[in-house]
Amino acid sequence: MEVFEHLATGFMAAGSIENLMFCLIGVVLGTLIGVLPGIGPIPALAILLPITFGLDPLSSLIMLAGIYYGAQYGGSTTSILVNMPGEASSVVTCIEGHQMARKGRAGAALAIAALGSFFAGTIGTVFIAAFGPPLASIAQQFNSPDYFALMLLGLVMAIVLAHGSVLKAVAMVLIGLLLGLVGTDINTGLTRYTFGLSGLWEGIDFLPLVLGLFGIVEIIRNLENPPSPREAISTRMRDMWPTKKEFKEAYPAALRGTGLGSLLGILPGGGAVLASFASYTLEKKISKNPRKFGTGAVEGVAGPEAANNAAAQTSFIPLLTLGIPSNPIMAIMMGAMIIQGIQPGAAVMTTRPDLFWGMVASMWIGNLMLVVINLPMIGIWVKLLSVPYRLLYPAILLFCAIGVYSTSTEPFMMVLMIVFTVFGYILFKLGCEPAPMVLGFILGPLMEENLRRSLVISRGDPTIFIDRPISATLLVATVLMLCLIIFPQFRKTREEAFQEE
Amino acid sequence: MVIKSPQDFGAGILFILFGAVGLYVGSDLSFGSARNMGPGYFPMIICGLIALIGLIVTAKSLAIEGPAIERIRFRPIIFILLAIAAFGILISEIGAVISSILLIMFAAYARRDVNPIETVVFAVTTAAFVVIIFVYALGQPMPVWWGR
Repeated sequence: MEVFEHLATGFMAAGSIENLMFCLIGVVLGTLIGVLPGIGPIPALAILLPITFGLDPLSSLIMLAGIYYGAQYGGSTTSILVNMPGEASSVVTCIEGHQMARKGRAGAALAIAALGSFFAGTIGTVFIAAFGPPLASIAQQFNSPDYFALMLLGLVMAIVLAHGSVLKAVAMVLIGLLLGLVGTDINTGLTRYTFGLSGLWEGIDFLPLVLGLFGIVEIIRNLENPPSPREAISTRMRDMWPTKKEFKEAYPAALRGTGLGSLLGILPGGGAVLASFASYTLEKKISKNPRKFGTGAVEGVAGPEAANNAAAQTSFIPLLTLGIPSNPIMAIMMGAMIIQGIQPGAAVMTTRPDLFWGMVASMWIGNLMLVVINLPMIGIWVKLLSVPYRLLYPAILLFCAIGVYSTSTEPFMMVLMIVFTVFGYILFKLGCEPAPMVLGFILGPLMEENLRRSLVISRGDPTIFIDRPISATLLVATVLMLCLIIFPQFRKTREEAFQEE
Repeated sequence: MVIKSPQDFGAGILFILFGAVGLYVGSDLSFGSARNMGPGYFPMIICGLIALIGLIVTAKSLAIEGPAIERIRFRPIIFILLAIAAFGILISEIGAVISSILLIMFAAYARRDVNPIETVVFAVTTAAFVVIIFVYALGQPMPVWWGR
């Protein structure tokens, strides 16, 4: 079996003492930041991004992946114990998980979330190992028009999944695309939108952008509307073991969640958020006793938690095989890879197999670490929830500032960070969600280049996008998605889904 | 003319401005044709779309009720930005330790009711901790003290 050979390569690369350590640090730091109320995976990744820059590419990617699912797991912990979701994908966990906690089953809810996630992570890893290579060979048949159509679909999906107004989300994506174009045009060597600033010649730097938009704006938001102090429900290690009945209810849901999440993770625009909502809806629909949902249904924790973790894993597939991030979190991962000098895409698998398979293997190792470390350490995480915010936020801010300075000593970087903080703050006040913008920012140059190439091939004839079967299929999907947005019935469910936050 | 949805109105105006500035600045770039896209082709289309959406959002905000813009509290944002600016200007001059302490002090005053003693103690310990991690553990090149 070729898959196992590949995985063996990966485990060799990821299993070195050094990489295991970085994986551990990533998982612990990710959980640490993710546990903090109100900080989801995007700000967590942004804040911790700089500390990975000094490492070699594989170690830094291992650590980043660890941070990502650490943050996600930390978010679930906070959701269950304090009923404060860090971001959209833990909203669902809040619904049932916190109800379980209030019934005295906090430990069991945490254990089910952890075990469900671990199981899903394992399957997700196998999924990547099995489907990565065939998808990469399909990717080789992708031509410029297909890439362009795929990115278009991804952006439209990001719009569908963004909170709030559709039109504003469209505008955010477009602004992201435009910001991505700032800098030197690779075809003509002309600088665009640099306003005469030499600091912008190579484009807007990724780090100050994400730190300003997500890290620092988050701090200011919390200072303006301090989250009302809520008592964390405490739990002990020995209360953690689920009862037989809970286990029996949980595992089929976790299985379904894993399957659903693995599939949804691969789709453009898919990822943890979509998967957890879909899984919750599914569990509610097929339950024999739908009325218990909302009062602490075990399935409502196991399913979505498994689904979001599976999707978190498999959403790496489009990034690693096609070089296209399917959601804002993957856009940040891609930004980090580019900073490391790696252009994600099918070529990575052949030119740097250790990197690809090492990362895949590290995902499983990281998931194992999460279970092994986090359940016993739950006491520490709960304590962390009681650290007052007045001490936390200056430390986080310092972390952001040092992080930017350590990647570039140019004072201009700080200026950029300030500019994006102000911009992000204005967007927040105007009810615009910045996450889709990051996706646009990363995709901007890629989309332009693929559009240019497509039109060169076809000599300016736009029908090239319909003539090629792959791009035609993707465009049909895009149009269907657009119809869904406009179609009132679906719009209502979308609004309801986000209402629960 | 009555603004029924202040948030959307603001967003619409922001988009229009963004698109307009983009179109104006980008007008120097050659547009080219579909067959041979110039450097201005893609950005101009995008800016046009941004401005168009801005117009629609603004128009909608005059017709459909929506949320008001939350009051802006100046204290947090001003102190946070001051903290970053001070850090960015000073770190190359006086080193990471003192500029970190200053950043935390400024940031702390983004809230009311600051306890000065606690803040100083916290600033010094955090600065020490962060410098140890970044400079000594991660080997990031940055001046620890002044005069280098």
